[in-house]
Amino acid sequence: MRLPTPCPPVTTTAAPETTTRVACTHCGDDCPDEPIALSGQPELHFCCQGCKAVYELLDASNLCTYYRLDEQPGQRVKTVELPGRFDYLDLESVQSQLLAFRSPTLARLTLTIPQMHCASCIWLLENLFKLNAGIRESRVNFLRKELTVSYQPATTSLKEVVTLLAAINYEPQITLAELGAQPHAASRTLYYQLGVAAFGFGNVMLLAFPDYFSFTEGLHTAFGRFFGGLSLLLALPVLLVSARSFYQSAWQGLRQRYINLDFPISLGLTALFVTSVFDVLTQRGPGYFDSFTGLVFFMLIGKWVQQHSYDALRFDRDFTSYFPVAVTLLTKAGEQSVSVKELQAGQRIRVRHQEIIPADAVLLRGVGLIDYSFVSGESVPVAKAVGEVVYAGGRQVGESVELEVVREVSQGYLTQLWNNPAFEKEARPTLETYANHVGRYFVALTLTLAIGSVLYWYPKDPQMALRAFTSVLIIACPCALSLATPFAMGAALRVLGRRQLYLKNAAVIETLSRADTLVFDKTGTLTDAHRAVVSFCGPALSSEDAQRVAALVGQSTHPLSQRLALHLGPSAFRIDEYTEIPGQGISGVVAGTSVRVGSAAFIGADVPSEASEERSSKVYVALDGQPCGHYAIQSDYRENLPTLLKNLGQRYRLALLTGDNDADIIRLRQLFGAEAELRFQQSPLEKLAFVEALQQQGRRVVMVGDGLNDAGALQRADVGIALTETLTNFSPACDAILEASSFGRLATILRFARDCRFIVLATFGLSFCYNGIGLSLAVQGLLTPIASAILMPISSLSVMAFATLLVRYAAHRRQL
Amino acid sequence: MTIIFLLIGISLIVALLFLGAFLWAVRSGQYEDTYTPAVRMLFDETDDTETKGS
Repeated sequence: MRLPTPCPPVTTTAAPETTTRVACTHCGDDCPDEPIALSGQPELHFCCQGCKAVYELLDASNLCTYYRLDEQPGQRVKTVELPGRFDYLDLESVQSQLLAFRSPTLARLTLTIPQMHCASCIWLLENLFKLNAGIRESRVNFLRKELTVSYQPATTSLKEVVTLLAAINYEPQITLAELGAQPHAASRTLYYQLGVAAFGFGNVMLLAFPDYFSFTEGLHTAFGRFFGGLSLLLALPVLLVSARSFYQSAWQGLRQRYINLDFPISLGLTALFVTSVFDVLTQRGPGYFDSFTGLVFFMLIGKWVQQHSYDALRFDRDFTSYFPVAVTLLTKAGEQSVSVKELQAGQRIRVRHQEIIPADAVLLRGVGLIDYSFVSGESVPVAKAVGEVVYAGGRQVGESVELEVVREVSQGYLTQLWNNPAFEKEARPTLETYANHVGRYFVALTLTLAIGSVLYWYPKDPQMALRAFTSVLIIACPCALSLATPFAMGAALRVLGRRQLYLKNAAVIETLSRADTLVFDKTGTLTDAHRAVVSFCGPALSSEDAQRVAALVGQSTHPLSQRLALHLGPSAFRIDEYTEIPGQGISGVVAGTSVRVGSAAFIGADVPSEASEERSSKVYVALDGQPCGHYAIQSDYRENLPTLLKNLGQRYRLALLTGDNDADIIRLRQLFGAEAELRFQQSPLEKLAFVEALQQQGRRVVMVGDGLNDAGALQRADVGIALTETLTNFSPACDAILEASSFGRLATILRFARDCRFIVLATFGLSFCYNGIGLSLAVQGLLTPIASAILMPISSLSVMAFATLLVRYAAHRRQL
Repeated sequence: MTIIFLLIGISLIVALLFLGAFLWAVRSGQYEDTYTPAVRMLFDETDDTETKGS
């Protein structure tokens, strides 16, 4: 079986003396020129202190098997140790909501750990008890990326367990959504139903054999009654347990005044069962119990195939999955951890490096440098000065800041989006699928035929009339029809999953195939955070000066510095007196010249105030105290965007929604064509309203976005596709998750979805043929149990094979 | 021919045993994680001895 997330590539560890590339023992990343070595074992190299610390911790507990199971299994340690980071886990209110089981001697909870990716991870996480004696047992569910830990509250605490996990770089994801969430109970019902149906089908089939073969006539006369009764007994649990979901679904549809495909199925199943009971009790014949149990079994297989789910992905996340559980409240008595839910306007909070701002607030003290990448997709942090309003959802980078809460968590600029009716459950009408559409005509046709045959036969042979009536109802049971969609869509779901498009369910493909409008977000969706256009504004720097700047920015981990370093290339200069002031800039003495790189204020440049309106990020440079211009860094559009949009534009109406201003309108107009609607400076709610307006014009909208500010539009759209750079990252509630690397394939994927629609229709055609044959037998009153027992499996199996193979062929032809 | 009653009775009991085993397996959660146990069984019990890895 394939791992959902590939393990890090196995790197050949070359001898450290001869090569420039030394892989870190822990994470496999490149080590710096002078790798950090372990004092006891100099042959082991590490890329950073964090990786070394993890190795030492594991080594001390004799857990180095971790490094033998997979090559360099770790991931680079990025998190910074912060005192008091997990203090909130000692809060009684937090514990009572997180723990699944609690007694004085044992506590148990399930944590989500997105970082786990290979066999080594499983091994280490299940051996946690060797690191902390208080941990009794830990079990991994790899597909869900969950760890269930049992510990003794007397010897250890929840905080210690989580701190330990963070120390070995498997920090669990504990967010607002986990609080008060019901433990994930997977549906086992379908498995029970399948088991009972298979049991009933197999045994009834055996008992029906004497009827199939005429040479066992003697057997039949002797045991017919016994076999009939036994079949009835075996079919009863199939009706009561396995077939229940069809009846429930049909009833639900009827209550909403809506006839779905399960209605004719239920009708057919009922006719089949009642006729069979009647036949057996009056000893007319063996009944159709074999067909009945077989039908239920095959249709349940159809449900099972369609149910393919991606356990590690969640399609229902809202902002609570992203917001922290607790926040540091500043009171007169000092710092105090409180639950974010209890936060009120007017309270003062402290937000540290890498923490999320939980509510709209005013900056009181410190330099705010807010990374809004989860909200807008823009990866460059925004600087905020004291007195400015900071919106919830950003992540503070740099020093810790003090804020005064302006609005409660749920009423924020961003979070109030979730109060919109679009997010109410069952706001959407029942999905109009082809199968349900066809089902309705099916019912009408069946009833007409059934009544027609009664009218035809009744004057001649009342007995025959009843027989024909029930036969029509039986054969009209659209089981082959109901299998067409699940098998075609189930196969398509797997094909698309291989191409990094993960769908919430199979119905999404059908909606996708009928879409006629595509709406895109800009930042993070059309632009690629890894591609940047860098230009220098001002008198050109000499190559030597540029080298000086390169040397300096190469030292910083700030995203802008890293882009600039990538642009300028490596530098051989030495740096002295390197200092970095978070949120402002970096400075140092490079080859005798003092260099300052950073914000305009940091280097002392006068900047006209309106300049900050521009979209690009600016990095100012001063040499020897003299400001000499700035680098403008702009995210570039994805590589294959022009061809993709051109392809899509031929068939779909395109639109763009962005929170940015229209600085780039000329380029975007070129990309999108003259007819596309481009909207700038859209708030999250305006995005939602735009999609809604399109739908009211009768359009079927696909929204492609990536951040929390697109969440409303993604939810409202017929299909919301969330784009993500890495799957373990957060993505807002949506119908499908697309990995950014597959973005260029969007046109092919949409074409494939349309292919699938034709395949489903073709399969419908095939199953209609079977129904036609059956009906022609039925109206003549010729449908015997044996005819039905032959027709049923042939039609079901051929429809399954036909649908699956055609989808595979279509995928092959589209090179998916 | 009455032996048929006995034979069918026995075969049904066997079938019921299998059904029971299946229901037990579902109930004990074996169908919820179909990946981890396959990896877990390859781990060695002790980590002190030299292992070759998997």
